[in-house]
Amino acid sequence: MLVVDLSSGRMRREEIPPEFLRAYLGGRGLGVRLLRGRHTLSPFDPAMPVVFAVGPLCGTPAPTSARIEVVSRSPLTGTVYDCSAGGRFAWRLRAAGLFAILVEGRSPRPVVLAVTSAGEELLPAEGLWTKGVVDTVGVLSDRGSVAAIGPAGENGVLFSSIMMGEGNAVGRGGLGAVLGKKNLKAITVDGDRTVPVADRDRFDRARADVLRLFRASPVIFGELGISEYGTPALVDLMRQRRMAPTENFRRTVFEDSSAYSGPAIRAAYGAKKEGCFGCPIRCKKRASDGHPLPEYETVSHFGALNGISDLHAIIRSNDACNDLGMDTISAAATLSAWGEARGRFPSPEEVGPLLHDIAHRRGEGDRLAQGSRRVAEALGKPGLSMSVKSLELPAYDPRGAYGMALAYVTSNRGGCHLRAYPISHEILRKPVASDRFSFSGKARMIKIAEDTNAAVDSLVACKFAFFGASLEEYAELLSGVTGEPHTPQGLKEIGERIYLTERYYNARNGFTRADDDLPARFFTEAGSSGEGIVVPPIDRARFGEELTKYYRIRGLRDDGSFPDDGFLERQP
Amino acid sequence: MRSLIRKYAGKLHRDRSIAQGRVGIAAQDDVMLSEGAPDLSRLAADVLSRLSCLGVVAASPSLPFAGFLLRRASAGACAIVPLDTETRTFLHDIPIVRREELAGDPARAVAALLSNRKGVIAEGVGIVASGPVTLEQAYIHYSSVFHAAFVKYLLDALQAGFVLPGEAEAFRAFRETFLRPPTAEGLSFRAGPLDDPEEVLSEIRAVGRYTVERGLVDSFFGNISCRVGETIFISQTAASLDELAGCIDPVPMDNRSTTGITASSELLAHRRIYEATGARAILHGHPKFAVAMSMLCEEKDCPVKDCWKDCPNVRMLGDIPVVAGEIGAGGLAVRVPPVIGGPGKAIVYGHGVFAIGRNGFEEAFRSMVDVENRCREEYFRRLDARARGEYSKGSSS
Repeated sequence: MLVVDLSSGRMRREEIPPEFLRAYLGGRGLGVRLLRGRHTLSPFDPAMPVVFAVGPLCGTPAPTSARIEVVSRSPLTGTVYDCSAGGRFAWRLRAAGLFAILVEGRSPRPVVLAVTSAGEELLPAEGLWTKGVVDTVGVLSDRGSVAAIGPAGENGVLFSSIMMGEGNAVGRGGLGAVLGKKNLKAITVDGDRTVPVADRDRFDRARADVLRLFRASPVIFGELGISEYGTPALVDLMRQRRMAPTENFRRTVFEDSSAYSGPAIRAAYGAKKEGCFGCPIRCKKRASDGHPLPEYETVSHFGALNGISDLHAIIRSNDACNDLGMDTISAAATLSAWGEARGRFPSPEEVGPLLHDIAHRRGEGDRLAQGSRRVAEALGKPGLSMSVKSLELPAYDPRGAYGMALAYVTSNRGGCHLRAYPISHEILRKPVASDRFSFSGKARMIKIAEDTNAAVDSLVACKFAFFGASLEEYAELLSGVTGEPHTPQGLKEIGERIYLTERYYNARNGFTRADDDLPARFFTEAGSSGEGIVVPPIDRARFGEELTKYYRIRGLRDDGSFPDDGFLERQP
Repeated sequence: MRSLIRKYAGKLHRDRSIAQGRVGIAAQDDVMLSEGAPDLSRLAADVLSRLSCLGVVAASPSLPFAGFLLRRASAGACAIVPLDTETRTFLHDIPIVRREELAGDPARAVAALLSNRKGVIAEGVGIVASGPVTLEQAYIHYSSVFHAAFVKYLLDALQAGFVLPGEAEAFRAFRETFLRPPTAEGLSFRAGPLDDPEEVLSEIRAVGRYTVERGLVDSFFGNISCRVGETIFISQTAASLDELAGCIDPVPMDNRSTTGITASSELLAHRRIYEATGARAILHGHPKFAVAMSMLCEEKDCPVKDCWKDCPNVRMLGDIPVVAGEIGAGGLAVRVPPVIGGPGKAIVYGHGVFAIGRNGFEEAFRSMVDVENRCREEYFRRLDARARGEYSKGSSS
């Protein structure tokens, strides 16, 4: 692990305690463990670390495993926060001989951290400060893979991202602003080291099993799946299921969504497949001119959520966010909440200038840079922020999937779909289908999925792999790489430790059951029923009952608190 | 949750995969629930309490094949490896745990194996399977193990004969008492071609249910579709063929919408079959004797090792073509369409049967029944021939 003190400019490589890797695997788990002791610091305190960590599968041919996790505390939510990204950065970090980088302190002037297998250095970056991500990556591209912030991160936008040079994003939670406060403009990594595989036969068998399951999954390799169309393949499905958030979640059907569906994007932009390093799925799409095309969440939120059907305007919004270094989900959702509060959603022509104003903290943009909760509160309409723990909800309306409703509030990083990802079974029917309009059994399903995904984020593998494969095959991959036996059950137990540690950190930072709640709109207003599908408001009593069950299953008190203060001391 | 436990216990009884009354099912939400035979429901609950799962099924199978496979396995073996597609793709292998390993704390021994696999064969107990996400999964995994063990035992018996005391007698009872020939008799089908979407949905639901009720699938797997103009109405992935209401996707032939992302993993195969044959209906199931017979190949010195996916040949079982090919985005979508048009049916190696209807589902259903019955006859013809030879060998030893 490389430890970088930006205040002093001192850097050292040190061994990660082996017991950390056994108990937390890597990635998210390792980052969460390394935060211990500093988890109550303010996100912008110079001493607050930002951890970039890969997992034990990174650098091997394990499918979808070249991912980086970035872990710190979010300035947007105040929670412990991790976010992962694909591309080539993780692979090159491992090739530089590193499993993680921990950045702390605050540089007196803008710098770039440049890492190779031969060593690391801090480079002056005054010339890059204020530049957009595209230009920054262009200047640094001969140094390997780049992770950079844009003007939004420099200016402390609370939902600023860290962009990978390949176009992938550490998108959510405002970790770009944490780097900005540290005056760290970018990190570059390059190397030539390889990662050994202890038991090649076992690894190869597991890899073949994974690939076979990918081919058997319609969501992954089906002719209408994400390999063909990217995640915008979900646009038509969410429309049909009547759960596409529209006009700040006032409705759940946007009649014009086919304008930005997967087939529409392919037709308009000649979308081509591109993948993260070593990934066979290749869900990322680029236009014929090479620029990255948006994900489902982005098209739906810059589309339906703001009542916009102009595909080209949506693509421009995505491009702007990527270059300015801002999370597309929070940016679009904040504009939508603001739009409803002022009585008019932004027009396609207004969105671009507003995004630039946000990134540069100009005019109304200065207020919008705080995210939807703070904007709505400032406007005296707090109920219009469609967020949980200040994190704006993504493009799955909780009235259309009750497991998703529960998972939004139990997520340790706020309103995120990826912690438990019940969309997988409630909508995509993987690995099996569950009744999306029922709470029955959902508390335990969510708990198990949260633990599973905490392990997945620590391996670090892509969630999309689990539309086909399962921890069964990934435990085998890990066994092959390490030469030590691992089981799905063992990985889930590691995931549980990670999950509870995060919740414990949040509790120490003042989060309680009151924060585990959805915006009132979902309990009082119906979605858009029709075509034989009824979308009623969520039954608050039943929701609360299932949340209490969830706490009990987690070993917490009914108010969501820990039964004693000794949890952390009992963990390795 | 209790209603789900009863639902899946009922399904296991109806599909005749468990011995009468010999099932225990446990499910946990914030509390543990279990029902069924006391010894099995206790085991299921004890196993589940050690796992991060939603449910566990523990049952004594209606047939002794899984137990025979366990006892026929070498002393050091810790798993059996059926070679059918379901096992290759989803189960990988099936761990076995012997009576002596179950002594003391059987739940601990079973849970240790289930921590890494979906189902286990436990000597003296039967099959125990887990459901990590839903209780339904535990039912599916039980059924998949039962199916895989059934097919493997048919093949092993044909290739190596009966080797354990009581095996021959048990197999005779299976053949003479347990087996019922699948039939289309008593079922009603709508005359095709079907054009009204409501009629199509209704017919798909009915034929899906027939397919399960007549034992042409394992658990409820398989898929079914009907083409109406430029739309394919197809069952969704992981849908119960006997519970298809609300689980049928309309998919445009030209892919202008991706709503069908939740359609069956065999959507591509269905589409290509429609394009190649002009059929109006397609039915795909996993009848056991057809699966077993498709895995028997008499080719000598063949260089192909992974026959199930790499064999380029079209073998014939009578007039029924047999082709290789992985499911989903693998090869069967390439290999089935060119061969199915003439005979109206085809078997995929180790996987199952595709059958088409030029007008409606009756032809497809009857074809599938016919394939299974002919495979069954051929299987027993070969077994009898082998037994006659083995009898003389056995008599002389």
